[in-house]
Amino acid sequence: MRPSRREFVKCVTASGIALSLSRLGLAEETFAAREAMPGQKFWNPAATGVGRIDGVAKVTGAKLYASDFRAADLPGWPANTSHAILIRAPDATHIYTGIDLARLSGALKPSVVVTAADLVTIGTRVPEFYTGDLFCPVGKTPLYLGQPVALLIFEKFDAFDQARLALRDGTFVKFGKETPPVTMPNYGAYRFTRVAGPTPDAPDVYSPLQEGWVSPGLFETTGRPIWAPLPVPTGREYATAATYGEKIRAELAADNPSLLVLDREFETQSVDPMFLEPECGLAWYDAGAKNLELVLGVQSPYEAAEAIAFLLGEASAAFKPARINANFTSLGGGFGGRDHTPFPLYVALAAVAYPGRPVRLAHDRYQQFQAGIKRHPFKMRTRIGVDRATGKISAFAADHALDGGGLANYSANVATCGATGAIGIYEIPKVDVTTVAFHSRGVTAGSMRGYGTLQTMTALEVLIDEVASTLPLDPIEFRRRNALKQDGRTMTGNPYSVSVRTPEILDKLEQHPIWRQRADEKARGKQAGLLVGTGVACVTKDYGTGADCSLGTVEIDPHGRITIHCDHVEMGNGIGTALANRVAAHLGGIADDVAIAQVGVFDALGLVTSGNAYAMDQATQDAAQRNPRWVPEISSATSASIGAHVGTHASAEAARVVFRFGLWPAALELWRIAPTDPIAGDWAKARWKDGQLIMPGLAPLALPAVAAWAHRRNFVTGAMTHSFSRWAWSQATFVVGGQAWTADIDALAIRQGAGQFASLDRTSVKFPPTDFNRIGTVFTSLCGTLVRIEIERATGALRIAKAYSVFECGQALVPEVVRGQAQGGFAMGVGYALLESLPPYEGGPGNGQWNLGQYLVARGSDLPLHDLEIEMLPPLTPDEPPKGLAEVVMIPVVPAILNAIFDVTGHRFQSLPVTPSMIKGVLS
Amino acid sequence: MKSELRTMILVAVASLSISMLAAYAVAEAQSDGLATPESFASISDPAKRSVALFTELGKVLTHPRCVNCHPAGDRPRQGDEGRLHQPPVDRGTDGHGLAAMRCPICHQQANFEPGRVPGHPEWHLAPREMAWEGKTLGEICVQIKDPKRNGNRTLADLIHHIGADTLVGWAWSPGFGRRPAPGTQQEAGALAEAWVKTGAACPN
Amino acid sequence: MTALSITINGRAYGPMDVRDDLTMNDFLREFLGLTGTKFGCGAAQCLSCAVIVDNADGTSYTGPTCVVPAASFHGKTIRTVEGHAKDGMLSDLQKAFIEHFSFQCGYCTAGFLNESQVLLERLAAKPVARADLEKTIAEALDGHICRCTGYVKYHEAVRDVILSDPGRYLIVTVGGEAR
Repeated sequence: MRPSRREFVKCVTASGIALSLSRLGLAEETFAAREAMPGQKFWNPAATGVGRIDGVAKVTGAKLYASDFRAADLPGWPANTSHAILIRAPDATHIYTGIDLARLSGALKPSVVVTAADLVTIGTRVPEFYTGDLFCPVGKTPLYLGQPVALLIFEKFDAFDQARLALRDGTFVKFGKETPPVTMPNYGAYRFTRVAGPTPDAPDVYSPLQEGWVSPGLFETTGRPIWAPLPVPTGREYATAATYGEKIRAELAADNPSLLVLDREFETQSVDPMFLEPECGLAWYDAGAKNLELVLGVQSPYEAAEAIAFLLGEASAAFKPARINANFTSLGGGFGGRDHTPFPLYVALAAVAYPGRPVRLAHDRYQQFQAGIKRHPFKMRTRIGVDRATGKISAFAADHALDGGGLANYSANVATCGATGAIGIYEIPKVDVTTVAFHSRGVTAGSMRGYGTLQTMTALEVLIDEVASTLPLDPIEFRRRNALKQDGRTMTGNPYSVSVRTPEILDKLEQHPIWRQRADEKARGKQAGLLVGTGVACVTKDYGTGADCSLGTVEIDPHGRITIHCDHVEMGNGIGTALANRVAAHLGGIADDVAIAQVGVFDALGLVTSGNAYAMDQATQDAAQRNPRWVPEISSATSASIGAHVGTHASAEAARVVFRFGLWPAALELWRIAPTDPIAGDWAKARWKDGQLIMPGLAPLALPAVAAWAHRRNFVTGAMTHSFSRWAWSQATFVVGGQAWTADIDALAIRQGAGQFASLDRTSVKFPPTDFNRIGTVFTSLCGTLVRIEIERATGALRIAKAYSVFECGQALVPEVVRGQAQGGFAMGVGYALLESLPPYEGGPGNGQWNLGQYLVARGSDLPLHDLEIEMLPPLTPDEPPKGLAEVVMIPVVPAILNAIFDVTGHRFQSLPVTPSMIKGVLS
Repeated sequence: MKSELRTMILVAVASLSISMLAAYAVAEAQSDGLATPESFASISDPAKRSVALFTELGKVLTHPRCVNCHPAGDRPRQGDEGRLHQPPVDRGTDGHGLAAMRCPICHQQANFEPGRVPGHPEWHLAPREMAWEGKTLGEICVQIKDPKRNGNRTLADLIHHIGADTLVGWAWSPGFGRRPAPGTQQEAGALAEAWVKTGAACPN
Repeated sequence: MTALSITINGRAYGPMDVRDDLTMNDFLREFLGLTGTKFGCGAAQCLSCAVIVDNADGTSYTGPTCVVPAASFHGKTIRTVEGHAKDGMLSDLQKAFIEHFSFQCGYCTAGFLNESQVLLERLAAKPVARADLEKTIAEALDGHICRCTGYVKYHEAVRDVILSDPGRYLIVTVGGEAR
C-alpha cells in the first residue's frame, strides 16, 4: 500500500490548517489566514490558563470544521461549490441490478454519475486497508448494507437538494434475485495463551512475548477457525499454544471442589460513535495543472492523504493528479470513527470525476448512520477459576467473536486488543483467549472508543462481581488480592513500563461514601419506596498502538512568541492547549499559534519510510535505519488515547532543543556566564516561573529578553523533531553546535536566528526492537467507577443518583480538559449501558433510515450532572510523563451500572443495553 | 373449485413474498382500507351493528397516528412503533410544550418533507383526560362519548371532529416515513356517523 | 419560491428568492455562508442547528433550522452564534463557556450558546427561585445533544453566569438574598 518514496514526494504534499489566525495583513491571505480565527485580535485563553487555545474560535462560530468550508472560502479556488451524494444499497441479500435515474430528470438531473464501471475508466486502485469494491458492480450482491453503488454530482446546490429528497426512500436502487449474503474470509483470528512459571520471578512457561502471536491455520468450511491443536506440520507454533490452552480449559472443566468455576456468556450490541459532525469533505481537481486540492476532517490525516495518492496513483492520464494538496481541519468529534474511513476516497473521486469544479461530499445523519464506522456485537464466552480458599484467580479462558461488518478495516486489531485486555487489572497465571473478527453484511466496523476492551472488560467486571458475591468475598478486597502488581506480567507476558496504581485506585473506591454508605442508602431507599443499589468496577486500558509517531516543530520569535506545529488532530481532545502547556514547561510561555493536523510542514526532516512497522523483522529494520532519514513510520492517527503521551512528545522534544541550544546559551550570555563555567552545564536546573527564567543565585530573566538575544546571536530559535514509539520511544544522537545531544527522537532539524530549518543527520539511532511487536501493550492507565442507582419498581426506569470516577493519567497537561474527558466518558458509558443499540443487519442503519430519534444517546437528563464526582490522582512522581485516558474513563462506567442493577434486582444481565422494560421484567 | 382456491392461495402467497422482497424499499406505505358503513348492513341487531361500526372505526382510533398524540403520560409518542418522542418534550401547562420547546417551533403549519417533520397549525397534545394509550376500545368509546372527558362535545361534534377536523385529517397525510391511518378521513367520518345513528354503542 | 427578507444579527438580508423546500439551515450555511450554525442530525434531535428568534414583543425563543423551511423565517429577526460577541467583546456566556472548558469539539456549542442566552433573557424577565435553578437550566438545555462533554461544564457555566448576577436572574428575598 505504501507508495515508493519518489511517488510519495511527488504526489503528496499535504499542508494543514493553522489553529490560530494571526497572519492578518498578509498581502496574499493563506488558507490559514482565512480560517476566520480571531487569533491575536482576541485574547488567547490558554495563555492565562483560563481556557483552551481554540476557545474563542469555538464560541464565536468561526469556520473550523470541514463541513464549514465552501469553495468560496478558499483562496485560489473557483468560487462555486457543486455537491455530490453517494447512493448506497439498503439491501445486501439481493443482486444489485442498477439505479433508476429516470426519475431524476430535468432540474434534478445529475451532471455526473460515477459507478463501478466508471472506476475502470478512471483507473482507481483500492488501498489494501479498504479492500472491497468502492461501488457495488451491477450483477453482484452488495458486500454489505450501505455499500455505495453510485456517486452523483450536481452542479448546483438546488438540484442536489431536491434530488436527495427524491432519493431518500431507497427505491432508486434496484434489486433482482434474492441471494444469501456475501461470505468473506475472517478478518483475523488469534489465540493468546500464557502459562506463568512457578514463581513470579521465574520465566513464563509459555507466553506470546516469548513464542510470538499465533493464529489458527485451519478453518472449517463455514470459515470458523479450528481452535483445537491439530497435528499439522504447518502452524506448529499454533499447536503448542493450543496444547497449553486446551490444558487450561481442561482444568477449568474438571470437577474440582476447591475451585469456583463460573462459565458465562456476555453479548454486546451494535453502536455508532455518533460524533456530532457528519463526515464531510471538499475537493477540487484542476485538471490543467493536475492539482488536486482537498479539505478533510479526519483523525488520520497522513493516512488519508496516502490513501488518496494510492487510489489515484495509477489512474489514467485524465484523472491522475501530479500534486495532491490536502488541508486538514478540526473535527466535530471523532471517537475513533473518523480514523481510517473510506470517506476521503469518495471525496477525491468526486473531484477527479468533475474536474475544474469544487465538489462537496457530505453525509447527512441518515447517511452517516448508514455508512459510518460502527462497533458491532461481541459475543464472549468466559470461564474463570478461583481458588475458594485464597480467593485468587487461578485460570481464565475465553472465546471472543466479533462482527466486523462489511469491510475489514481495523477489526482484526480490535479483536487482539480486546483479547489481550480481557483480564483487565488482574494477575492470572494461566490464561487462554481465542478471538476471531468475522465479516458480515453489516455496516463496516472499525475503531471506536474502547477498541474491544470496552466490550471484554465489561464482561470481565460483571463476571468478577459475580465471583465476589458467590465466593463470597468483598468485591474490592477480591480485586485487591488479584490485582496485577507493578512488575507483574500481562497476558502477552510483558510487564507494564508505566506506573500501575491499582492499590491506590481500589483504596479510593473503598473509602468513598458511595461505597461505604451502600447498605444505608439501600435501606433508606426502601423506606421511600425506591430500589437503590450500588455498583463498582475497575479497569485498566492501554494507550498507544505499538507504532505511534509524533511530529512537532517549536519556534520562538524575537519577541518570545511561540509557534507550534503538530501532526495530531483536534477533535475535542484539546491537543492544541496540551501542546502549548507542555511546551511552556520548557520555554516559559504559552504559544499563541498552534497549528495541528499538519502533515506537510515537516519536509525539512526529509523523512522516508518503508515496510510495515508491525511486521518487519529486526534485520530489515537494522538495514533500513542506516539511512539517516529512515523511520519505521512517518505519521500516525490521533487515536488510541495517545494525544497527550504521543501527540505532544515531538513538540516537547523540540522545545527542549530550543531551550538547550537557543534560550539557555542566550541566558548564559545575559547572565555573563562563560561557557566554561560549571553553571553552564546546569541547564536542567533552570525553571520558568511567570514568564521568567529562574536559576538559583542569578537574576530572573524575562522570556522576551532571552528570545531577543537568542535571535540576535543566531542561536537555535526553532526545532523540528520526529519520534516513533513501539512501546518505547526511538532514541538518537545528534551533534548540535558541536555538542552531542541524545534524546527520545529519531529526526531533528533546527533553525538559527531567522534562518530556515535544516536537518541534522543522526549519528546513531536505536529504534525499539521489532520483537516488541509481540507485546500487547506496555502503557496503561487505570480508572475505577462507583455508581448509586435508583430503580422505579413500576416502570423499571433507572436513575443514576450519584457517581464517582477516579483515575490516574500521569501528568495532566490540561487538567480541565482531562476532567471534561472523564465527564464525557461517563456519559458515553451510560449510553452504552442503557440506551444505545442498532439492529446489526436488516432493519438497522444500513437501510438509510436511522437518526437520533431512534438511536438514543445520553442527554443531560440521563446523567447525574451535579452528582458526578471526578477525581484525578496526582502524578506518581513530579516528572511522570502524561498517560492516555480518553478511553479508560468510559469503560468502568458500564459494568458498574450493571453491577448496581444486580445489587437492586438480584439479576445479572449478560447483554447490553439494559432497558427499563428488561429491568421491569426481572423485578416482577 | 378446490384447486382454484389453492391456486388463488398460492398466488396470494407469491405476491406476499414478492412484496416482502421489496420490503427494503422504504416508500410511502399503502394504508389499510376501511370498510364502508354499508358493509355492516348484514348485522341486523342495531346495537351489535353499532359496536361493529365502532370497532371498525377503532382501527383509526388505535392507529399510531392517533395514539401518539393521545398518550397516557405527558410525553407524546412517535413513529409507527410508538416510541417516546425524541427529542424529549413535555406537554407543559397547555399541551403545547414547555417554554424552551413549544410544539410549533418544529411542527410548522404543514408537513415539511425535507425535514420529515409533520405539521399542522394546531399541533399539540390531546389533554390528559383524552388519553387513549393503553386503553381498550371499549374504554376509549365510553371516554369519547363523555362530555366531561371529550372537550364538552356532543355526538354530532364527534362526527365533525373525526370526519372533518383538519388536525385529525393530518393522520391520513402524515408525510414520509409514517404509515397513514386506515382508509380516508371521509370514510372514518362516515363510520362515525353510522355509529352514532345506530345508537353509539360501545364494545365491552 | 418565496421572497425571503430576514434580519440576522441586526443586519437585513434580502429579499432573496428561496425554494419553498429549502431548509433554513441550508439557507444559512449554503447561501449566506453563516456556518456558525451547525448541521448535526437534520431531524431536530440535537439542536446544534438552533438559532434565536426574536419576537416583536421582546420575547425570544430558540428553534431548529434543519427541519423548518427558510421561507417560514420571512420577516423574522434572528440571532446566530456569530452575533453574540459585540465589537470584539465576548458575551458573559461565551466567556463562561471558555473559562469553564465547557466544550470539547465545539460542534454543539453554538446551539448551547443560543439556548443559554434565551434562558438568561427569560429569567431576567421572570426570575426563578434559587432552589429551582438547576432544574430550570436542565429543562432548558435538555434538547441539546453533546457527545463529547457529558454536559456538566455547560450546566456549571450557565449556572455561574446566573449566580454572578443573582439580582437579575433569581427571585430575591426582602433581605436581598437570592432564595
